[in-house]
Amino acid sequence: MNTPILHIQNLHKHFGKVHAVNDLSLEVLPGQVFGILGPNGSGKTTTLGIILDVIKKKSGEYRWFGEPPSAESRKKIGAILETPVFYPYLSAVDNLKIVALIKGVDESRIDSVLKTVDLHERKFDAFKTYSLGMKQRLAIASALLADPEVMILDEPTNGLDPQGIAEIRQLIIQIAQQGKTIILASHLLDEVQKVCSHFAVLKKGKLIYSGSVDEALTGTDTVEIAADDMDLLEETIKQFAYTQSVRPEKQFLRVRLKNNQSSIDLNRFLVEQGIVVSHLSQRTNSLEQQFLQILAADSSSATSGNHSFIDQKTTTHA
Amino acid sequence: MPRLLAIEWIKLRSYRPFWILMILYFMVLGLVLSGVMLFFEYLASRGAELNGIDPSIIPFYDFADIWQNMTYLATFLKIFLGFIVVISITNEYSYKTIRQHIIDGLNRWEFLAGKLSVILAITIVNTLFVFVLGLILGWIYSPVQGIDIVFENAGFLLAYLLDVFAFLTFALLVGLLIKRTGFTIVLLALYTLFIEPIGALVLSIEFSEYTFHQYFPIRAINNLIQVPFGKYMFQEVQDYVALGDVALVMIYVGLFILLSFRLLKARDISG
Repeated sequence: MNTPILHIQNLHKHFGKVHAVNDLSLEVLPGQVFGILGPNGSGKTTTLGIILDVIKKKSGEYRWFGEPPSAESRKKIGAILETPVFYPYLSAVDNLKIVALIKGVDESRIDSVLKTVDLHERKFDAFKTYSLGMKQRLAIASALLADPEVMILDEPTNGLDPQGIAEIRQLIIQIAQQGKTIILASHLLDEVQKVCSHFAVLKKGKLIYSGSVDEALTGTDTVEIAADDMDLLEETIKQFAYTQSVRPEKQFLRVRLKNNQSSIDLNRFLVEQGIVVSHLSQRTNSLEQQFLQILAADSSSATSGNHSFIDQKTTTHA
Repeated sequence: MPRLLAIEWIKLRSYRPFWILMILYFMVLGLVLSGVMLFFEYLASRGAELNGIDPSIIPFYDFADIWQNMTYLATFLKIFLGFIVVISITNEYSYKTIRQHIIDGLNRWEFLAGKLSVILAITIVNTLFVFVLGLILGWIYSPVQGIDIVFENAGFLLAYLLDVFAFLTFALLVGLLIKRTGFTIVLLALYTLFIEPIGALVLSIEFSEYTFHQYFPIRAINNLIQVPFGKYMFQEVQDYVALGDVALVMIYVGLFILLSFRLLKARDISG
């Protein structure tokens, strides 16, 4: 039987009146690359802070490697919360020496992890002279130092330029391929889709979805479609027998079809109805659309409040 | 080097402000402690008298007397060491490194013990400095020499060690409580130099039948080494370290450490 790397049960945390983590239960299994998705303020970092023992939980419990949490179990975790944290006046080597002493790791590991993240040539320069991307890479090097079974990365590409983002993602995928378990908090759906095998969605401290990325993406193809008269187009598509849903987006309608119907079937129907389309393409669904559905399904039962999140996210899908 | 001290050493050895403050402190301490006789001679040359005594004949550096005189004078500068300790603890909050330490697998007690070991190291170096300087100055000025007389009353050095250690633990507690460097330094200085002394004075006048104002932390620490100079003006002075005072300061040290630990335990470490 597989002991979960991380097991969270009914976790609660309040900050004053804000219920930052609300009855959260989660399980991360060995080898998973587990994405925790949610807008800023959804409780991602708070949850990570609790399971890393820097934030006090109100109630509930969590276990690492099937054991009650302790400093010893944290030594087997490589984690960064929010921004990279180092002594600005110390070099990469000195900063990592401190981590090595804390974790009880031999100093010989330092050179090897600095090579992994491609910082070896700058290793004697002070941390404050590094670019943001280099700082993130040093944070990952620090997390890798003890060759941990599990890594926790919190918004690892935050604030980076596209090249930096690509580098970090490549690095994460590389690490995951070595069989390490990774827990990745992000508000970027695209990132989770590209990197993660499993994901959970948090909203206002509550878990509203948890599952594998592949499952979430199967059978969810959509058709993007546009014509001169968008209103007429929408009306007509709604009459098509195999239409599951229609959602207007900026320049086109996004149509979800039932029974494995494809864009060809839809197009044939529209031509029969006398409508000529100006844009038609079939798309494999991105996690983004899946995610919007999850949020939409959730807000039908809860109050609204996810709009800012949707707006923020729609721009990230490339 | 023990692991926790080694961690702190890496942080400090390349931290320029630490070395600048340390060097300044030891320079000032050295100048003050070794300049007393010159100062007295200057006073005498200006015709000043202390209760009818020519200041230049006061045997400040004479063996046996020297340790109480030197350590008493030295305690006035310990507040600068307090500032250094404050910086070393509040930096951990402003850099958020305290949080990363816990995440990396240090427990809260180890974090505190690391800081306490720095304090102990600073205290020992500081005491050794006063000791060596005392030996040199005594050798220069003291009319009496000899191994047995040199170490007579050297117990004041141990009292001085406890005095500084207790004060620095207090500074650590205040730093942990407030977390901000500038604010902590101002508050520590205000409390040590004004709030407690003035408060204790007011209370001692208001409730003159009681002695509780003797037991405030800074006062208790300062009581370890009593003002020695009265004896040169034929007054009664306490020229020994009272065990009761030592016990009280020990209790305070325990309390400061306990409170620091409780503080670390109870709060979220948000940085």
